[in-house]
Amino acid sequence: MFCKVAGIFVYSDQADIAREIIGFARLNGRQSVVLTLGEKDAQALQNAGADKIIAIKGESEMIENYAQAIAVMLKDESAELFAVGATPRGRDLAARVAGYLDCAMVSDIAAAGFEGDQIVCTRMMYGGAVQQTEKLSGLSVITIPPGKFATAQGEASILSLELPADNRVSLMETAPIVKEGVDLSKAEKVVCVGMALDKAEDLQIARDLADVMGAELGCTRSIAEERHWLPVESYIGISGAVIKPKLYLSMGVSGQIQHVYGIRDAGLIVAIDTNEKAPIFKAADYGIVGDLYQVVPMLTEALKK
Amino acid sequence: MSQVIACYKWVADEADIRINADLSIDLSKAKGKISDYDKNAIEAAIQAAAVLGGKAVGVTFGTSDAKPSLKDALSRGLDEVCYIKAQEASQADGAATARALAAAIKKLENVSLIICAEGASDTYSRQTAPRIGAFLDLPVVTSVSKMELTGNTLTAVRKLDDCLQTVKVDLPAVVAVLPEINPAPIPGLKAVLAAGKKPVHELKAADLGVDLSPLSTISEIKGYIMDRKNIIFNEGDLAEQVKALVAALRKEGVL
Ligand SMILES: Cc1cc2nc3c(=O)[nH]c(=O)nc-3n(C[C@H](O)[C@H](O)[C@H](O)COP(=O)(O)OP(=O)(O)OC[C@H]3O[C@@H](n4cnc5c(N)ncnc54)[C@H](O)[C@@H]3O)c2cc1C
Ligand SMILES: Nc1ncnc2c1ncn2[C@@H]1O[C@H](COP(=O)(O)O)[C@@H](O)[C@H]1O
Repeated sequence: MFCKVAGIFVYSDQADIAREIIGFARLNGRQSVVLTLGEKDAQALQNAGADKIIAIKGESEMIENYAQAIAVMLKDESAELFAVGATPRGRDLAARVAGYLDCAMVSDIAAAGFEGDQIVCTRMMYGGAVQQTEKLSGLSVITIPPGKFATAQGEASILSLELPADNRVSLMETAPIVKEGVDLSKAEKVVCVGMALDKAEDLQIARDLADVMGAELGCTRSIAEERHWLPVESYIGISGAVIKPKLYLSMGVSGQIQHVYGIRDAGLIVAIDTNEKAPIFKAADYGIVGDLYQVVPMLTEALKK
Repeated sequence: MSQVIACYKWVADEADIRINADLSIDLSKAKGKISDYDKNAIEAAIQAAAVLGGKAVGVTFGTSDAKPSLKDALSRGLDEVCYIKAQEASQADGAATARALAAAIKKLENVSLIICAEGASDTYSRQTAPRIGAFLDLPVVTSVSKMELTGNTLTAVRKLDDCLQTVKVDLPAVVAVLPEINPAPIPGLKAVLAAGKKPVHELKAADLGVDLSPLSTISEIKGYIMDRKNIIFNEGDLAEQVKALVAALRKEGVL
């Protein structure tokens, strides 16, 4: 046994989230056992307040490939919860472990806590239109997005553990994604463009406005993922950046719920769109119904004064 | 003949959800639709089946409300649909959903590839594909932005938040595709007409031999309301509207 009591097992490929999940365990008076792939990640988390760190050793470089072995370990250790950082890798591992355990799982919790030995989680449904609270009993799995819990401190012992890997999926090549954009979550002002733009060059209209405002440029998912006009970290929404600027101004963004999820905490929301029925106006403080190709240059000029 | 499975879900359109004053939600006006990104999963299955020389088969787990999805899915180019029609679908969590889909897929022969979308537009749990993989003990590849089939080998590019990974796996396998994997075409009239003649296999909960009850208990559901000023400047010409906007923003102290 790695723990004296049933504890929370933790994994995240992002050390910052792992630290926050350890904080979550502490907050709820639970022991935490952190899993890492290899010694280096284990050392990086040594002072994060966990009770134990298990550095997994094995034949695969992909944590997902240890899902079945981790499921077996969680059972053997009578773990209470497997809490995983909500990143693409983390969600994959978490759901595979939940599948092997055939246990309950709540993805991307908005809030989580314990009521006795039940875990109570709140999460978004329908792109953010609905908030659902669920209760889980017995060994369960949750994924936790960054920024939810305060970190903790304290030394942990590191234990190295050999686990069998499922090598059916093999890694051929890794190309790092170089972040070209800015961290929108820290921006004070954001100008956001949507699919209304006809061509990539027209981004200049938005850039000119952003420049006079001192704003950063953001976009909707389709602009980044389908058209590749802006880097992936520029898109705002439930699957992209969640931002809280003092001012958010959109042009040609319809304001579907998945996008609006990302701007809920903005101080002021301003929308420019040709369609007066576009949902963005219901989410906005101020709006102009009009063609962005006309309105935005006028606005840029007016702000220069 | 090998079969490529596209898992798709019939969901309530989130744009039609009404939120009452007490924050309870009203789905009665919500139209159904094939979950947005599942259209890309369907297209990916059709393309893969063409390369493998097999059939593209849709599998959906839904209540009787999901009936209109059959023609829609078939008109997108699937050869057949397997419809798990069960009232339990309305209460299903990730565990029950994966159990139902895995059990139905297990009944099909020569399944070479199972394709899900990144996430469903109602739950956006992003857990179904890995869970199905675990149930059937098949290898899983998620966050797939590109895939290529050569013989029995799938090469996929995974888009993670810090890197692009190229991975290789022998079939059979389960993949979850990102929407950017392909543009899902809108079906033409001919395809819509042909859809009516394609086979649909209906399965009942009892045919599956698995427990479809959820493992998590929902204790509260409430709507989210955006409380904003909703001021539209529509007095005078555009120049005056822009002027009014600038004045308002200056007054708010955000410029
Ligand atoms: C599971 C899931 C997750 C998602 N996650 C995200 C997410 O994180 N972020 C995100 O952004 N989206 C997300 N989406 C997609 C989202 O639902 C919308 O499809 C997307 O946000 C729409 O982008 P858009 O507003 O740029 O385009 P559109 O919806 O096409 O809107 C374009 C707007 O431009 C207006 N317009 C056209 N011409 C002009 C003009 N000349 N001047 C002014 N206005 C004009 C139109 O009236 C329209 O309102 C997600 C979807 C799903 C299903
Ligand atoms: N009831 C269902 N029927 C068929 N496929 C489903 C169902 N639920 C989920 N899926 C598939 O799994 C994907 C991910 O769903 P989720 O894990 O709920 O986000 C969906 O996009 C579908 O491809």
